[in-house]
Order: sequence, then C-alpha cells, then structure tokens
Amino acid sequence: MAVAIQQHHDRIAAYLKQKLGADVSLADVVALAEITAHSLQSVFETLDSAVHRELREIADYIAAMKVEIAGLHFNELKHTRIPAAGQELDAIVKATEAASHTIMECAEQVLAGDAGDPAFKAMVDEKMLIVFEACSFQDITGQRVAKVVETLKHIEARVARFSDALRARDTGGFVSEEERASAARKERLLLSGPRLDGRDRQSEVDRLLAKP
Amino acid sequence: MSVDLSMPILVVDDYNTMIRIIRNLLKQLGFEDIDDANDGSAALNKMRGKRYGLVISDWNMEPMTGYELLKEVRGDPGLSKTPFIMVTAESKTENVIAAKKAGVNNYIVKPFNAQTLKTKIEAVFAE
Repeated sequence: MAVAIQQHHDRIAAYLKQKLGADVSLADVVALAEITAHSLQSVFETLDSAVHRELREIADYIAAMKVEIAGLHFNELKHTRIPAAGQELDAIVKATEAASHTIMECAEQVLAGDAGDPAFKAMVDEKMLIVFEACSFQDITGQRVAKVVETLKHIEARVARFSDALRARDTGGFVSEEERASAARKERLLLSGPRLDGRDRQSEVDRLLAKP
Repeated sequence: MSVDLSMPILVVDDYNTMIRIIRNLLKQLGFEDIDDANDGSAALNKMRGKRYGLVISDWNMEPMTGYELLKEVRGDPGLSKTPFIMVTAESKTENVIAAKKAGVNNYIVKPFNAQTLKTKIEAVFAE
C-alpha cells in the first residue's frame, strides 16, 4: 500500500511540475482530480486486497478450529464417555465396600466362634472360602479402573491435539465459583489425600510429633 | 494393655468400612463401649451428649473435618481434655504440625495395623 501511495504522490508531483508557471484551467483541475481518483483507486484496491487477505485468513482459521472442535468429540465425551467413567468409579466403590463387609463379617464370625466346638473347623473352612470368593472384587475393579484410565487417556489425547492446534497457553484462575471454593477449602483444611509413593510415613510422623 | 478398657470410645470416619475395621480392632484389644459418627459435626453432637474417654478420628470428612473437630474439642472447656487420636491418609508434614499445634495426642497414618493402633493408644494414656 505504501508503494501505491508513493506512486500517487509521484503522479501528482509530476503533473504539478509540468504545470508549474502556467495558468491553471478547469481542465487542469479535472485532470488532477482524475489522476487523484485513479491513484486512490489503486490505493483502495490495495486496501481491499489486504483486508480481503486478512478476512480470508481469519475465515480459514475459523474453519480449521471448527474441524478441531469437532475432533474433540465434545458431545460424546460429555454425554457418553465421562458419565460412563463416573458410573464405573461408583461401581468400584460399591464393589470394594461390599467385598470389605463380606470379608469382615467372616472374620467376625470366626473370631466369635468357639475353637473347642467340633463344628468350628468346618465353620472356619466355610468362611475362608467366602473370603477367597469376596477377594475376586480385585479382578473386576481392576478391569473397571482400566476402562476409566482409557477414558482419561482419550480425553487427554483430544485436549492435547486441540491445545496444539490453538497453540494455547494456560491461564490462571478458576472456571467457576464452586471450583474456587473447593480449592480454597482444600488449602485451608490441608486436604491432599493419600500419597502415591507408598512409603511408610508413620516413622516420619512419630518423629514430628516427638519434637518439642 | 494398662488402659481402662471400659472407657467409651468414639470412632469418627465417613467410611463405614473403616469404622467397622477400627471397631473390630478395638474389640480385639478389649474395648467394648464403642460409638461412631460419620463426620466432625455429628461427632461433636455425640460428645456433647456423652463423655468419651478417647476419640479416634479421620481427617478428611464433610461437612466438618477431623482437624476442625479437634479444634472444636480443644476449644470447648467441657471437652478440651478428651484424648484425641487422628487416623488418616493425610501424612504431609504440614498436616502433622497443624494437628500437633491443635492439640492432637497421637497421629496414625493409614493404612495401619492392629499393633500400631494398640501402641498409639497406650502411648496416649502413658503420658
């Protein structure tokens, strides 16, 4: 565009030089107006091209984003996969609770039994079999956990692809007041849950308590 | 165990499975009078209606955590001397220090075994 403006200036300057010293007639003014209009037309055409190019790029970008958003399978995630994962987790909690209660019930009955009773051994054998059966929860919950992990990986892959396409960066803050309040409560009441490293922490705790 | 086995104990946890485990362990140690509550506020109500010789509480519960329960107990002149053991998966240094400052008598990290529970109870009453 800068080039077009310069050419416009050059044309006017050339015309004025040509006419320097001579009387300016109406025809001269019309001719000057014609030059100006012609020059400006090329300026506007240049402007149009630049704006058109920008708008084209924006339209292409939006079209690409729509493809990426469609690739998120957001509706599938929201209405199918995530609720299904939630149900699997609920089922895991129920199964582990039921198994724990079955095992404890057997233990309580064995503990309450009379070892001197001739039927005691048979009772213990029966209860231990029930305990073994109850322990099969680990197999089922393991499979359910695998399904939940698969869903999480699916979400992670799609979000990562979308984030790469957007060249997105994290922003600070929370998406809702509920999220903010939950984070604040966890910080205030020191709620972080069990550690992942499996270390025995009782000795460290005892040392901390023993310090004056 | 040189502890009064007839003293009432209050077990506080939002998981009934854990309450059942602790109750059974306490029974194995000889304790018989065992009550339970599923969060700090329910526990506080029970404590204001009955004198307990020991409270064994989880940390992470809603609406009132075990940490908040401990502070309420220590802040109540009628309850402040109640022995209090925290039994929890929260094991960060800041948790232990906060509980210690709030007046906890002992702190057990989950998962734990019967011997640990016995040792920690004995330690509280040996003080």
